[in-house]
Amino acid sequence: MRKHPDEYLTGNLTAMIDVVFQLIIFFVCTVSLQDTVIDARIRLAMAPSGRPVEKKDPREVYVDVAPNGDIRVLRTPLSRSELAQMLKKMVLDNRGAPIPVIIRGDEGTRHKAIQQVMDACAYAGIWKIKFAALKERGS
Amino acid sequence: MARKRKKSELHAGELNLTAMIDIAFQMLNFFVITAKPMDVLTNLDVFRPSPDAPPPKEAKPPAVIRIGVINGGLLLNDRQASIPMLRDFLEQMAKLDKAQTVLIQCATDSRHGQLVEVLDLCNRLGLTNLSVVSAS
Repeated sequence: MRKHPDEYLTGNLTAMIDVVFQLIIFFVCTVSLQDTVIDARIRLAMAPSGRPVEKKDPREVYVDVAPNGDIRVLRTPLSRSELAQMLKKMVLDNRGAPIPVIIRGDEGTRHKAIQQVMDACAYAGIWKIKFAALKERGS
Repeated sequence: MARKRKKSELHAGELNLTAMIDIAFQMLNFFVITAKPMDVLTNLDVFRPSPDAPPPKEAKPPAVIRIGVINGGLLLNDRQASIPMLRDFLEQMAKLDKAQTVLIQCATDSRHGQLVEVLDLCNRLGLTNLSVVSAS
């Protein structure tokens, strides 16, 4: 008996829809981690005695400082003056209250570059800063 | 005839595993996403001396430990020191008073890793009043 031509066109889409939903769930759940993901070029120094990061403040600003002294915020390269202006504006937007700044410097970065970030923080009126480090080296 | 019947029974016992695999992937996805990551990151708190801060009104001057971070070494109260020496000294100081200020002066050409190492040592010993300044 010969099949009707329409029978060849019908397919079972269940598996494909399942995979599409899996992908949607995965991307929805991981998209918010993009902001805090560590820049792969920055090798953080070890601090085994540091307290683990428990709760995160949504106002936190991560400033990445590469070994060559490049300053980046959210992967955007900034000069020292641009960083200072940005932090100042954020402090003003926060009704003058200082915002938490976390400096993620490479272990080989010279302090001169870190000093530039600290000076930018000082310009914005931020006197308490944090240095990001690793409690243990991942495999 | 008996042989033929056995074969047909086996055929009827086959299961469609698609749904089970789907559920397994859903669960895998759920556990991967909700798993709490290991505590690999830490934040070391430091203070910067603020020019607006009023001078302390204490009669007794506060004890300050000065640690210099220079390229390839450390200075403890302006004397060359190694990490074990610094640890021994800070251990003794921490026994006396953990609230005393540790002033870390970093040379501009020193590595950031050295500063983190000193901060970590202070954290380990319970010294929490840490200030970082830059020295030329």
